[in-house]
Amino acid sequence: MKTPCYSLLLFLFTLISSAQKSTYLISSIKDSLKENANAVVRLDQMDIIIASQRSMNIKTQRVVSVLNEKGLSDIDAYQHYDKSTSVKNIEAIVYDALGTEIKKIKRKDFRDQSAVSGSTLFSDNRVLYLDYTPVSYPFTIVYTSETETSNTAFIPQWYFLGGYYVSVEKCVLNVTFPGNLGFKKKEFHFSEFNINKTVDTDTRLSYEAVNILAQKAEDLSPSSRDLYPRIMMGLEKFHLEGVDGTATTWEEFGKWYGDKILSGTTTLPEETKIKIKALVGDEKDPVKKAKIIYDYVQKKSRYVSIQVGIGGWKPMLATDVDRLGYGDCKALSNYTKALLQTVDVPSYNTILYGDRYKSNIQSDFVSMQGNHMILAVPNGDNYTFLECTSQDDPFGYQGTFTDDRDVLVVKPEGGVIVRTKIYEDKGNSQTDKGSYSIDENGNLSGHISIASEGSQYSSKSRTETLQPTEKEAHYKEYWSKINNLKLGKVTFTNDKENIRFTEDVQITATNYGVILANKMIFPVDAFNQSKSNIKRIRNRKNPFQIQRGYLDTDEIEINLPTGFSIEFLPSNFELKGKFGEYKTEIIKKENNKLTYKRSMFLNKGKYSSKEYDEYRLFMEQISRNDNAKIILAKN
Amino acid sequence: MTFRTIIIAILLICNFINVQAQNYELGKVTIAELEQKVHPKDTSAVAAILFKRGKTFFTYTGGRGFTANNVYEFRIKIYRTEGLSWANQKVSYYVGYENLGDDSVKFSNAVTYNLENGAIVKTKLESEGHFKNKINKYWNQETITLPNVKAGSVIEFKYILRSENIVRLPDFDFQYDIPVNFFEYKTEIPEFFLYKTLLIGTTKIQTNAEVVGSTQVYASGYKQINSLYTFKDIPALTNEKFVDNIENYRGSIQNELERKRFPDMPVVDYTNTWEGVATTIYKNKDFGEELKLKDYFLNDLKGLLQNVDSHEERLNVIFKFVQNKMNWNKEKGYYVDKGVKKAYEAKTGNVAEINFILIAMLKSAGINADPVLVSTLENGIPVFPNRTVFNYVIAQAEIGGKKILLDATNKFTAPNILPLNLLNWKGRLIKEDGSSEEVEMITSVPSKDNYNVTAAINPVLGKIEGQLRIKRSDYSAFNFREINSGKSEDSYLEKLENDLNKSEITDYTIENKKEDLSKPVVENFSFTLNSPYDIINGKIFLKPLLFFTDTKNPFVQEIRQASIYFGYPHQYVYNFSFEVPEGYAVESLPKPKRISLENKEASFLINTVSDENKIMVQVIKEINKPIFAAEDYDMLKEFFQKIIVSQNEKIVLKKV
Repeated sequence: MKTPCYSLLLFLFTLISSAQKSTYLISSIKDSLKENANAVVRLDQMDIIIASQRSMNIKTQRVVSVLNEKGLSDIDAYQHYDKSTSVKNIEAIVYDALGTEIKKIKRKDFRDQSAVSGSTLFSDNRVLYLDYTPVSYPFTIVYTSETETSNTAFIPQWYFLGGYYVSVEKCVLNVTFPGNLGFKKKEFHFSEFNINKTVDTDTRLSYEAVNILAQKAEDLSPSSRDLYPRIMMGLEKFHLEGVDGTATTWEEFGKWYGDKILSGTTTLPEETKIKIKALVGDEKDPVKKAKIIYDYVQKKSRYVSIQVGIGGWKPMLATDVDRLGYGDCKALSNYTKALLQTVDVPSYNTILYGDRYKSNIQSDFVSMQGNHMILAVPNGDNYTFLECTSQDDPFGYQGTFTDDRDVLVVKPEGGVIVRTKIYEDKGNSQTDKGSYSIDENGNLSGHISIASEGSQYSSKSRTETLQPTEKEAHYKEYWSKINNLKLGKVTFTNDKENIRFTEDVQITATNYGVILANKMIFPVDAFNQSKSNIKRIRNRKNPFQIQRGYLDTDEIEINLPTGFSIEFLPSNFELKGKFGEYKTEIIKKENNKLTYKRSMFLNKGKYSSKEYDEYRLFMEQISRNDNAKIILAKN
Repeated sequence: MTFRTIIIAILLICNFINVQAQNYELGKVTIAELEQKVHPKDTSAVAAILFKRGKTFFTYTGGRGFTANNVYEFRIKIYRTEGLSWANQKVSYYVGYENLGDDSVKFSNAVTYNLENGAIVKTKLESEGHFKNKINKYWNQETITLPNVKAGSVIEFKYILRSENIVRLPDFDFQYDIPVNFFEYKTEIPEFFLYKTLLIGTTKIQTNAEVVGSTQVYASGYKQINSLYTFKDIPALTNEKFVDNIENYRGSIQNELERKRFPDMPVVDYTNTWEGVATTIYKNKDFGEELKLKDYFLNDLKGLLQNVDSHEERLNVIFKFVQNKMNWNKEKGYYVDKGVKKAYEAKTGNVAEINFILIAMLKSAGINADPVLVSTLENGIPVFPNRTVFNYVIAQAEIGGKKILLDATNKFTAPNILPLNLLNWKGRLIKEDGSSEEVEMITSVPSKDNYNVTAAINPVLGKIEGQLRIKRSDYSAFNFREINSGKSEDSYLEKLENDLNKSEITDYTIENKKEDLSKPVVENFSFTLNSPYDIINGKIFLKPLLFFTDTKNPFVQEIRQASIYFGYPHQYVYNFSFEVPEGYAVESLPKPKRISLENKEASFLINTVSDENKIMVQVIKEINKPIFAAEDYDMLKEFFQKIIVSQNEKIVLKKV
């Protein structure tokens, strides 16, 4: 019995060694992995070796079979570097569908480019990237790179699934670290995926996952971060751009950040201090003082992004901002803090994720997180948060970029996690009051006042900054159901004190009422028809969420043309459900007048994939009723 | 008019010119400029260029040769916070020359002016606001960000761009997306160089040129040509929909070297006529020589042409072979990079490499074929002949007097079907003997879309069920394939369902998605449309074109600066056959109607007939002209308005 076993082992051995050469056959990919996939990641492996508090080496191996042109972006063969992170080697080899090598790309053939993007004026971050023109699909690319850095404050997050429309055959993470640096980790969304923790000791951690199917992107889904498995990692003893740090609690972390990074950055010239004190005068109330100073900063400064070395983490000096009148979010927050200090108003640098999608600082994982900085001014038991990069935002307004999320407030005695302002659904309001008249040829003329508050303020108040042609295009899009729209007088009232933006608009439109024989037909709701177009999604998989609710209330007077009588009036309508409440009412008055009342309230919430179609139909019913038409008959 | 008023008038003019002349120097910002709250001619302007002055002059360095020095001076007023981005200035410059020194850029005199308590306060830019980015191995970028800029500030700066590349001087733009109050551009060009000057845009400007003795020290006794271009009050240029390329309309002065004529040396011709352009390009080793090579493909060609005799078939076979074999690396241009041979081996190449391979193979197969130089839409439209206007090269084959344009870089093109960005202006065909001719790039053949719908109205379920057949030809088919070929059927159908007012689609089939690219794409499927009509007072109100109804006029603006570009002529034919449900009868149908522009450049026709329980609707919509002049804008806008109204007339069914 021994012999067969032995030969089987030998057989296995040869199989393994021959497989080494032809591992990357396209034909060996399972069908299930090809489904919905533009690319299949055959192997995604990262080996992180933390040698000490000031040394981290990362080796990356990525083997990607690209099935079609759309899968090119899944190759991810690029590596960022800067003064403290060097690329030790980088290479890629391309194989055709049969696993035959067709091209080798050496380091010198990678493109080397500045990683400055968008609004950033300067950054010393650079990127090496592969620019490969495929000669046929499918093909496989084997990418390897190795980097060395002294910054251990950021251990890259590990995503088992890197994107949509890509599947993963095998995914491996190996981390080695000294036992005395306080290595920690946090796992997210492991439950529905088959992920094995293969090693978990005082100095080593390994995971392996196989056969993760490709996922489809679907509207209104939570971010992929909140759906798919990932691991956050960090050290209690870390290093950042020449500065050592130790933190096991947010309190300690905040203290370190304040002492080591922020300290000494808030000095101001004497003349500025005098000027600011004069500006504040006799004002005693700290919040009112802060308001005066916020206004001063908004008028004086502008947002300019410059990321140099530690400047990426350390704010520019307040004296420099004072002299130059510009800075990034850290610089402007810190400058505002310095000005507030001179009039004895305390305020704290606040680190967070700035994004329309609400994203928290992970409160149970003490580490460097976030991508943005604002300023917290104590206000009773709460805080007023100031967005210092904006020249327009009202004092304390958090719009849709920093609202309702966990943030880290860095106080001198240490950091604390705080929830930012939550805008209640009912407060995100739009109140419409207006009237329109229809003449005997179906032409419309009307005016409306649209007042927006809460999170609706942030989208509407942008109208004020539009150029005339953009403004015209905006309203023609906003009232796209009204053909032949001509804008009349448009006035804006931006009440920053009460955070209310009011648009007063006059419009005319020919042929709003369609004339058929001796009848005239037109939709009663001219001004606020639901614009939501909820897509039909085949076999939806993901849950969906509505991040912010709202309340719209309309009251419109309608003057019907003389010489016509009402033949048909849409009936009043009401719809109530878990997603919200909707109601319309038409009141007949004397002299051919109508009053149209509409209210639409949408809840924020998280829902299952099953409820998506229900939501789509709910919104469709509303949009159909918004389009309900009146018929007039000529007398 | 009395003598006195004339004097005053003359004095005023002198005075005016004098004041202006003074105020166009850096450093002389006035309180009036700082106090100004809005631009006097364009109240919506977020900022304005109070002046831009440019000067180009040449210097000579022994051993290196001539350098073009381009000096620019700006004064900019910021009116609103949205204009603050003008306080950041970026200038990119080329450092990738093979035989020339790198270009360089140097900023200076950068100052911000503010008004504080009635006094002018200057803040100078220090080195901290100054950055140099190495973008990649070809390009560097100098950036400045001016200090203390806020709404109301005036900023000034100057920079010098030096370049040994004197073949093309940097373009001098005098129109921006903010108004320009005054500009002036001077060139001082030694008589050895003759430049062709192009004026782009619709603004008329003043020009003046004179020949003077030189003031430079690198040689004596030669002359130079001084030119001056100037004008004031250039309005802001705004981008719009259906524009081929907004840069075609931006006011700009371009200079390209036409001829070198040094004393005691033969004249070197760079450009002047299309023939000159063609010859120069053809003579370059990366063009003409590469077209002649053929050894590398002869074996493959032999195999391809076995039993293929007619020229038409040979053309198709060779075109498909090159199109399938070669992969475009997205690099444009009309010169080869690594050469046709290497490209052929690597199956990857730039535009010239791929289309040169095609041309050489066609020629070897006995088909008459020549390269055609093209300017893509992004590259714009030139005004006069010069070499730098082209950025692409394709092939033209001639068989029995029929001319066929070919581009093998794209996976979905076919004979006479080119990528859409090549449908621009005129191409230039060059023959081996250096002669050349113009080639019309804009097609006059309409691309056709046919929609055939058979549908039954089901008032009980509130649905319409039916079959739909869509046939797309020529450019419409090309466009469809380019957009949708990469999508899985599932994700395509999801999009199609949403485009068709959230219909449910079943039994979907598609013919010719990839097989024969010269034939139309045909889709067939069944659909169910929920709540497809209004029921008002028991009557059914139905749009005759269902989900194909145009509802939005694509033209919304009141004023138009640029031409209206549609790309290619397009004809849409809709044939609908509705079955009237039992218990209902037709009360009214939309009136048959014809709406058309002069010369039928755009036309619309709707016909409706009912017969027993059937309603037939035919709609033909045609855009017959690829480009309309800006003056036609109102007419086109009105045309779309009218056809929308017509399509929105309803079929009305009543209960019987």
